Amino acid sequence: MNHHLRSGVTTAALYAIAIPVSLAFLYPYWWMCLGMFRNARQVLGDPLRLWPEQFDMSVFAEIARIGGVDLWVYVFNSFAITMASTILGVAVTAMGAYALCRRPDLPGFRWLRFGFMLTIMYPYMLLVIPVYIVVFKLGLLGSYAGIVLFLALGPIQFFLFDRFFRTLPREVIEAGICDGASEAQILFRIILPMAKPVLATVALITFLINWSQWFPILVISRSPDTFTLPVALLSMNGELGASFRAIMALAFVTTLPVAIAFVLAQRRVMEGMAAGAVKG
Amino acid sequence: MALAATIDLAWRNRVFYLFAAPFAALTAVFGLWPIALSIQVSFTASGTALSAAPAYVGFANYATVLADPLFLASMARTLLYTALAVVANLAFALAMAMLIDSPRLKAGTMFFRLALFLPVVTPDVAGYVVWRWLFDRSFGAINAALGELGLPEFGGIASVDTVTTAILIAELWHHAGFYMTIFLANLAMRDRALEEAAAIDGASAWQTWRHVILPQLRPAIVVNLVYATIQFLKTFTVVVVMTKGGPADRTNFVSYYAYQLFDQARYGEATAMASILFACVIALSLGAFRLVDREAPR
Repeated sequence: MNHHLRSGVTTAALYAIAIPVSLAFLYPYWWMCLGMFRNARQVLGDPLRLWPEQFDMSVFAEIARIGGVDLWVYVFNSFAITMASTILGVAVTAMGAYALCRRPDLPGFRWLRFGFMLTIMYPYMLLVIPVYIVVFKLGLLGSYAGIVLFLALGPIQFFLFDRFFRTLPREVIEAGICDGASEAQILFRIILPMAKPVLATVALITFLINWSQWFPILVISRSPDTFTLPVALLSMNGELGASFRAIMALAFVTTLPVAIAFVLAQRRVMEGMAAGAVKG
Repeated sequence: MALAATIDLAWRNRVFYLFAAPFAALTAVFGLWPIALSIQVSFTASGTALSAAPAYVGFANYATVLADPLFLASMARTLLYTALAVVANLAFALAMAMLIDSPRLKAGTMFFRLALFLPVVTPDVAGYVVWRWLFDRSFGAINAALGELGLPEFGGIASVDTVTTAILIAELWHHAGFYMTIFLANLAMRDRALEEAAAIDGASAWQTWRHVILPQLRPAIVVNLVYATIQFLKTFTVVVVMTKGGPADRTNFVSYYAYQLFDQARYGEATAMASILFACVIALSLGAFRLVDREAPR
């Protein structure tokens, strides 16, 4: 009995830590949602209120145009740039990682791997500035293409594919070769069907990462016309006199798609990110 | 003859070159070319850096940067902040992973994991914008809550004394869930028979944790340590969104300082700083690889 009591107390104590910590991690989201509906005077008067005084949607009129550009343009840019860079990035990285894993011995492939490793070790925000010069030289400044091409290259994506292709059983490929299949047939008939779950995970994670990007987009853009939601949010954050409600509403719009995607596919995202970091 | 053999080998495997070509092109154009350009610019006079005929000045920019007390202070500040952030994040993540992994928490485990991981995928700009206001002295919920509890006011990002703590908290919120997930993955792979054996031998909970569980977490600790060190050495977004390097330069870390120089068109010095930081990251990564390699045969 005593033992049961003690273990009950321990369990209660663990919950007493886990529940408040989890709620504290979620609180900023709740505060952000409340902020959309409450005006500055109401927040000042009662910052801790847990329910808005009124559900007033007028804030969306306030953020309908930001920096001379319609909100829907930012939403469209976010989806278009994120989708395009995700599709391109997943395709290019999958093929590249596959070639490097299958035949690491081919001339130049060691150098390619080494070059990629160097690239991802370079401090990202400092890489973006010389990238500005490169994009300028290519004549892609201010274009969607410049942004999408730069975002297409990422370390987590490469490591996830690398890990997957390394764990592929050799026998599967060798059996294909014995049956006289060409390399393309091996890739499309044998490897790709096996890789479907990995492809889905990598695509999802790439989407979440690229959606959050802001610095390369800010640098490669020439005007707000190619800004995405995080970049618009940042420019509003720096604006003098931008209203608290408007900032919270835009933060909400920026967060909502990733929150939905994450909640729908939580296991995939969490396990995929952990696997991508721990490259095998 | 070697060349002909190489070309022959490459031609016979052209399908693999075809697969690798787009990846190689992106790596070259958006990775290696900018890096080479950046290193080249670091040896030129800023005013001429982007012109057709840049004036090469040797190591002058490196000398200027290394003699700049602001840069040295910024470097020291970055290293100190990195150390603080790594320890805080990993300690918190490990504690939360142990807690969530505990068999006593049967209900709600998934909810706790989701709550702690959601900030990882939340766009950092959005998260830090919200935190900036949460810390606000008259507006924010944090000081209001401290006031309700009768605790002293927290200066947040406005005060020299508290700004480091404030951005540490915001960054912990954004990153800790990631490190926790890696700890959890490692905990799930551990050999539970060892703990049963320890229990039979009469080991206390603390002894079991210290001598049986912790040693098995070595892979996760190494990965998290490397990852967090590189992550926090590059601390940037939180500064741009919340503090702009202030107050009184307290959060003016190297990457932000270098970015400011770029903004002032001091390209030579800024790229010299980038090269120095690059060298630091390479040295750290190589050291870490050594560490992981030595441990691999286990």
